[in-house]
Amino acid sequence: MRINRIGFVLLCALLRFVPLFGQDTLAVKGQLNDTLVLNNATVTARSQEQQLREGAYAVSAVNIRLQAATLQSLTQAIDRSSGIRIREEGGVGSDFDLSINGLSGNAIRYFLDGMPLDAKGTGITLSNLPVNLIERVEIYKGVIPASFGSDALGGAVNIITNRQRRNYLDFSYGLGSFHTHKADFSAQYSGKKTGLVFRPVLSASYSKNDYLMRDVKVRNADRTAFIVTDLPRFHDAYLSLFGQLEAGVTDRSWADEFFVSASVSKVDKEIQTGATQGHVIGMAERNTKSLNVSARYAKKRFLTDDLDFNAMVSQTWDHVQTIDTTYRLYYWDGSYIDGSYSEIRRRGKTLRNYHRPMTLVRGNFDYRLAEGHSLTFNYMLNRTGNRQDDAWDTDYVPTDDALTKHVASLSYNQLLFAGRMDNAFFIKDYVNHLEVGQSEIPSTTGAGKVEPVSTKNYLGYGVGSRYEVFAPLAVKASYEHSVRLPVSREVLGNGSTVYPNLALTPEISDNFNLGLFGTWDLGDGHVISYEANGFVRLVDNYIQATVSETEGMMQYINVAAVHVKGMDGEIRYDWAGRLHLAANASYDDSRDSRKYTQSGDLSVTYNNRTPNRPWSYANAEVSYTFHNVGLRDSRLRLMADYQWVHWFYLTWEAFGSASSKSRVPTQHITNASLLYSWQSGRYNVSLECTNLFDALAFDNYMLQKPGRAFFLKFRLFL
Amino acid sequence: MKEMKRLLFVLTVAMASMMMMAVSCHEPEPEPEPEPVVLKDYNFDLFVCAVKHGGMSQNKNGTYVRSVPDLTADQPTVVFSGKGIDITQDYTLESITRGKYYYQVPQRATGGFVKFHIERNAAGEESIVEDAEVPFKNNVYSARKYTHAWINDSTTLVIVGTADKATKIIWSKLNESNLAVQSEGTFDISLPEGYGSFSTAGLLTYRKSDKKLYYFYFAKPAAGMSDAATSQVYIAIIDPATMKVESNTAVPGDIMEETAGSAYGELMQNMIMYDEADNLYVAGLRTIDGKEMGILRRIPMGQKTFDASWNGFPNPEGKLLTVQYLGNGKALAYSRDEALGTKIDSKSHFYTIINLANSSRERVKFNGKDLQYCGGRFSQRTAIANGKAYIGVGGEVEGEAEETNPTIYIYDCKTGVVEKGVELSKGFCFDIIRAMEAE
Repeated sequence: MRINRIGFVLLCALLRFVPLFGQDTLAVKGQLNDTLVLNNATVTARSQEQQLREGAYAVSAVNIRLQAATLQSLTQAIDRSSGIRIREEGGVGSDFDLSINGLSGNAIRYFLDGMPLDAKGTGITLSNLPVNLIERVEIYKGVIPASFGSDALGGAVNIITNRQRRNYLDFSYGLGSFHTHKADFSAQYSGKKTGLVFRPVLSASYSKNDYLMRDVKVRNADRTAFIVTDLPRFHDAYLSLFGQLEAGVTDRSWADEFFVSASVSKVDKEIQTGATQGHVIGMAERNTKSLNVSARYAKKRFLTDDLDFNAMVSQTWDHVQTIDTTYRLYYWDGSYIDGSYSEIRRRGKTLRNYHRPMTLVRGNFDYRLAEGHSLTFNYMLNRTGNRQDDAWDTDYVPTDDALTKHVASLSYNQLLFAGRMDNAFFIKDYVNHLEVGQSEIPSTTGAGKVEPVSTKNYLGYGVGSRYEVFAPLAVKASYEHSVRLPVSREVLGNGSTVYPNLALTPEISDNFNLGLFGTWDLGDGHVISYEANGFVRLVDNYIQATVSETEGMMQYINVAAVHVKGMDGEIRYDWAGRLHLAANASYDDSRDSRKYTQSGDLSVTYNNRTPNRPWSYANAEVSYTFHNVGLRDSRLRLMADYQWVHWFYLTWEAFGSASSKSRVPTQHITNASLLYSWQSGRYNVSLECTNLFDALAFDNYMLQKPGRAFFLKFRLFL
Repeated sequence: MKEMKRLLFVLTVAMASMMMMAVSCHEPEPEPEPEPVVLKDYNFDLFVCAVKHGGMSQNKNGTYVRSVPDLTADQPTVVFSGKGIDITQDYTLESITRGKYYYQVPQRATGGFVKFHIERNAAGEESIVEDAEVPFKNNVYSARKYTHAWINDSTTLVIVGTADKATKIIWSKLNESNLAVQSEGTFDISLPEGYGSFSTAGLLTYRKSDKKLYYFYFAKPAAGMSDAATSQVYIAIIDPATMKVESNTAVPGDIMEETAGSAYGELMQNMIMYDEADNLYVAGLRTIDGKEMGILRRIPMGQKTFDASWNGFPNPEGKLLTVQYLGNGKALAYSRDEALGTKIDSKSHFYTIINLANSSRERVKFNGKDLQYCGGRFSQRTAIANGKAYIGVGGEVEGEAEETNPTIYIYDCKTGVVEKGVELSKGFCFDIIRAMEAE
């Protein structure tokens, strides 16, 4: 007999097992599932990722646990998703920019288990979060559920950590090209009698990043002329340390979960270049230290049977120090001239300290109105301070700015037609309170032209809906009028390569998504799934990073209007958890949509493609898994993936002859890896080769990425 | 009889002489012939920015260059869509020029100097050809933050900038041909007491008559504090052979408080000019009733400091931004009328012909209307070539739509006649017009 649909949904909810190998569709056959046979009934359960994709919102979900044994960083896995593009400035630990359906930078917000990732400190990003700790990554495109309590405009990345109930220990160590080392440790101990739970996490990564730079200019032997040659990077070392301890209780009468947590992080980064590789740096550094303490509480049936409540409070002390105390002009061979100005800012020497204390408070109430109907209220307070002083420059006047955001949201969620239709309606209120104390370089930063204290209020709202016609065909649509308040980096600068822009105003956007998705179970383990999405983003006051001509410094500016239209699609094929094929392609057409200038003239940049951003890219991957190779309960997986990015112009495409324009070239990057695992995943060894064909790779103009690199990783999971 | 003939001859000669004298007394003195204009072939390189002006590093939309052989009205509209050179990433629009060549510390920051020229192929497509690129030797300069002068019959280029948080003034001599650094050093100039840094670059010029370099500079309380009170202007006179500072004289504030440009030398705008007699003119400013107003001072040939009694820009309406010598005692100035607005986009900037003989001035007009420009202070939209001044007019106006395309107007230095020249596509703002010698 076939299990009815409600039973099926319940079973899906219960089945949370995700194997170390296999596809999103659960793979337990005989022992542990793919397809579960119950009295001749056949049930194909959906993974968390699959369920998310089939929700009302436009979401991509990436299962990290499946790849944890091979991955170096989360960015690797996310970059292969449809509609997602990550642009890196260099090697391990380099700054990166993630775009979702054409919107990028700070239009994208990052969360760790629903909390802003910033709380872990400035230095902690997707690139250095311990991979072993992560269960999956959810990528919301354009329309963001109200429960995040955030002002994301282009999308949100929510990183879900491992929440297994059983005790475990997970350790990995990897080493790779360019003197790269990475070690992660995470564990959980749960006392059966005491109910106390402890979750320690330790992570360390280091890379010298001394990959070869090709065709760089250096001085000849007598230093009277330039020659072009290949040389390794010489000042790009990166060290990241992260430690965290969570302790708490679960399943108590007064709390389903109550945890307190403390984390520390330290990220030291040598700086090798400015905004382009012509600007060589040999001494400057940026070092970050952070301490975070937080507590979270969750209780279902809080006060009444129909009310769930969760809350969180977090305090972060974040200290960024930019050391720019050398008057030197470096060349790629490491030689230098004692110069006239500092390396980063191209002005006087600075040893700038940024203290950015961050306070986060969140409360979330979820009230069930009736079966399939619920009301959710969420409030988030985010206060980020920005105290700057300079330990070197005696002329520098210390400043003290603060940016406070209050986001309150209310959403109504409904499940109709026995779960075939899923709707969500929400409204969000944003309050932005800015206190400005700095007055440096007023002509550039706008200091003196903005009110020192200001409070502004904005409203957002949206709807998401999904309807399943039948298993292979479902449709979903969503819309949000969203507001994105500038983050402190955009308004207040970063003290090294980003100038403040105190006059920056929030981005406002109307985001539309329309998608189709479905899954065909062809039998005998053959499963095909697909999704296709079209999207429109109508952004006003678009915040765009520009490279200032002055000193290669960056600054964020408002561009009056940008419209992004595009589509992305993905198709996946899986055969019995052995053969996996996937391909996706994305196209986003971002155009300047301000037709008239302030003076009423037709803007010459109207309808021009927004410069300096990739707009067409694709990924393909194939993997095959062999079982019981050599040892019992062993598996061998071979995997290869290919990434393609169409070239794009650095400046407005319309002006100047094509031959004279600077552009970021097309990329063809192929990666390959193998993973051998035995004793049912207890021991894992992987070898990965990135950029297999040693292609010259650029994500940004004149910022070369690493060539061919190898990474060997051992993982123990007990 | 013989004596009568002699008397008659004497009378005749005397009468003839008197008549000639009379004629010569009644005819006015003929005016000296203007110096003949040596006609050369020029290319006009038009530097523009899209949407907004790009001076003072305010460019957010890229810098584009078209090189055209003629700017007369019969030429087709100069377009930038798919045409011209996008120099945004590699070069600064601020540059030293001579003949057909550009010399600069490039935007791409490779740590040296570059020399290039713009070529145009048979199809009219422009491209940049680099002629030399050399690394810095010991002294290091930032893109656009230096001043320059030509010495040794223009075979040597002297570059001057500041170092160590603008507390030292450094110099380098470069060979014009291959940019080889010949010598370098630091001027023996100390900061005036009570001041923390020099003005970013100052202004350097070479005077042929006394074979000296003149360096105009002032100081600020601290680097980067643009609104802070500055020191007096100083004139350092330097022997170009030894680069020794021979004298360093403070200019009284009632003569000049600041030079018109201090940050970018004359890489973008001209603030220094010479007349045929080698009098040296410098544009500057003074505070009058709390407002910074333009002033034009002169160091007469043979003297070392400003003539306090002479001001070529009396009763100023506002700041004097650029000056260029046109010949025959006339100069072309670009200045602002404070009463009409001081914002960068205010329609308050005008072109003026200054008669240096009597310090009178008259706005350049076309069809009876002043030629205005509103794109701000940081530009040089005029070029002088073959006895004509090419003046760029147009661009954005705060709060108003453009009535016409950006247009070149051509002022005939000899006749004073202004005619309309070529137009540029709408939506682009003039930053610099450069007259570059053709091959």
